[in-house]
Amino acid sequence: MGTRGRRWLRRSSRRPLWGSAILYGVVIFWCFIVLFPFYWLATTSVKRPIDVSRGPNYIPYIDFQPIPDHWEEMFGIQRESTERHFRNSLVSAIGSTILSVVIGAMAGYGLSRFRYYWGRLGWDNDNIAFWIISQRFLPPAIFIVPFVLLYNALSLIDTYAGLIIAYTMFNIPFAVWIMRDFFNGLPVDLEESARVDGATRWQAFIRIVLPLSAPGLVAVAIFSFIFAWNEYLFALMLTNFNAITMPVLIAGQNNTRGIEWWFISALTLMAVVPVIIMGLLLERFITRGLTAGAVKG
Amino acid sequence: MSTVREDRIMKRVFLSPAVVILLALSIFPLLWSLGISFTDMQRGGSTIARQAAAEGITEGVGFLGLGFELTGRNYQRLLVDGRLHSTVRNTMIYVFVGVTIQYVIGLGLATVLNQPFRGRNIVRVIFLMPMMMTPVAAAYTGRMFFDSNALRSPLAHFLRQFSKAIGLEQAISVPWFTDIGWAPIAILIIDAWQWIPFMTLILLAGMQAIPEDIYEAARVDGANVLQIFWRVTVPILLPISLTVILIRGLEIFKIIDVVVVTTGGGPGSATESLTLYIFEQALSNGNYGYASAIAYILLILVIIFATIFLTVGRRWIRGSAERGK
Repeated sequence: MGTRGRRWLRRSSRRPLWGSAILYGVVIFWCFIVLFPFYWLATTSVKRPIDVSRGPNYIPYIDFQPIPDHWEEMFGIQRESTERHFRNSLVSAIGSTILSVVIGAMAGYGLSRFRYYWGRLGWDNDNIAFWIISQRFLPPAIFIVPFVLLYNALSLIDTYAGLIIAYTMFNIPFAVWIMRDFFNGLPVDLEESARVDGATRWQAFIRIVLPLSAPGLVAVAIFSFIFAWNEYLFALMLTNFNAITMPVLIAGQNNTRGIEWWFISALTLMAVVPVIIMGLLLERFITRGLTAGAVKG
Repeated sequence: MSTVREDRIMKRVFLSPAVVILLALSIFPLLWSLGISFTDMQRGGSTIARQAAAEGITEGVGFLGLGFELTGRNYQRLLVDGRLHSTVRNTMIYVFVGVTIQYVIGLGLATVLNQPFRGRNIVRVIFLMPMMMTPVAAAYTGRMFFDSNALRSPLAHFLRQFSKAIGLEQAISVPWFTDIGWAPIAILIIDAWQWIPFMTLILLAGMQAIPEDIYEAARVDGANVLQIFWRVTVPILLPISLTVILIRGLEIFKIIDVVVVTTGGGPGSATESLTLYIFEQALSNGNYGYASAIAYILLILVIIFATIFLTVGRRWIRGSAERGK
């Protein structure tokens, strides 16, 4: 940290004025590009329909009179629907996150601490790890037909279990990959001394290794959660009423009454807020966990 | 229990759940859909076959009475399906143009964020926000902005004011979603807005891992800022750059949500992506066999892309390492 502090002083004192001007110019411009759409969603969600179509109106109380109607509608008349879809998203995202973290951490630990050799394929740890991560990059389109057939046969269509299983499958490769990198960076001494003191492998894993890998676990959890929360294709394909998630609900707003931008904006913010709050709180973990292995050497 | 024996068991316990899930839900469906791609399987085919079997009819319900025939016709059809060819072309445009735009802007923003300035931490968090929006929602937001009606869209309004300000007779108006040329650009912009933060995040982490000494040495040798950027930062970032480009490229191959919400694939099939086409063949038309065959084409494209990328990439990295010596 000390070096970074000194670098800060040195560089900023050296930077010419025009350099600062360009720097702040770019930063402000890009903040605008990023934030304006969010601002537009927020204001649209409190506009009267007439203010949306006879606009554009930018500033509340000056350009238009904000109204809470659409939010009231979402939590009033539409309450049942909003709650159901929000709950569906939450249950399937949290369920698959927990499973991915647990299974990913276990496999990551295995690949980091044991030596495997799959004789028939001639694969060692690196081959196995590569095979696992490569599953993440298979195009999901290839799973459309078999999943529909499989889920129909097992009656998993439109159930939480169905979504959780599918999302867990998609999240595992990434989880294994990150956790393996993370465990590779942890010294083995602590576990070994615990085992000398009589702890089993499993106890050492649970009591020593996992607490030390909190940043990696949190990063995996965030990524799994965001993936499952935002996923569209499989949610669309594998649900039809009871288990429909927020993205499918939002995408389906293109209905017969025409597009109700104000209502979509409110829904969108509803769907975005949990993820943003989580992301902002845990931003530090994301970078640390993700780059633990990615950047070294 | 002896430690050795315990380890022999535990090593299986740790790895098995992940492997079993991937075998059951990834490898098995993969092989299954390869099989389906060589049949003329339709939705409901097996139901018809079962009914026929219940009524004692075994003729004319297909291979082994399963309700479909084995055939190679799906793969012949691929060659003459014009709509498929345009979806392949669109997908390639999304991948190559999209990745290039996102990488260049992402690298630029990472460079900016790597400079010390007041408020850097909060700015870094702001820059990440688009990534957290559901792609479907980002697509709706994009629709609001790329609406060509200046009464609704702030962007169209801005363009109209702008053209008035510079004295144009005819106001600039871009037919974002209705023109064959512009519609893919609109989709590229929405995807870029959402995913540039990912590039920035990873490239920034890479830059922060570069030791200060290297820069110091370059400065002592008299290199200016641009030279340092091209000769030091970019080559060191090469491996991580290849990784993010590969990840984003493979992700864009899967694009469907943005297309569904903005244009639905139109006008014509000017913006339709491969994934969307497969989805429509499978679930709207119920052509399971043909959809599986197209999905295999997509898989082959993805594998070719990844292989070329990894081979060429490795050579580059080696090359730049040698030049650096």
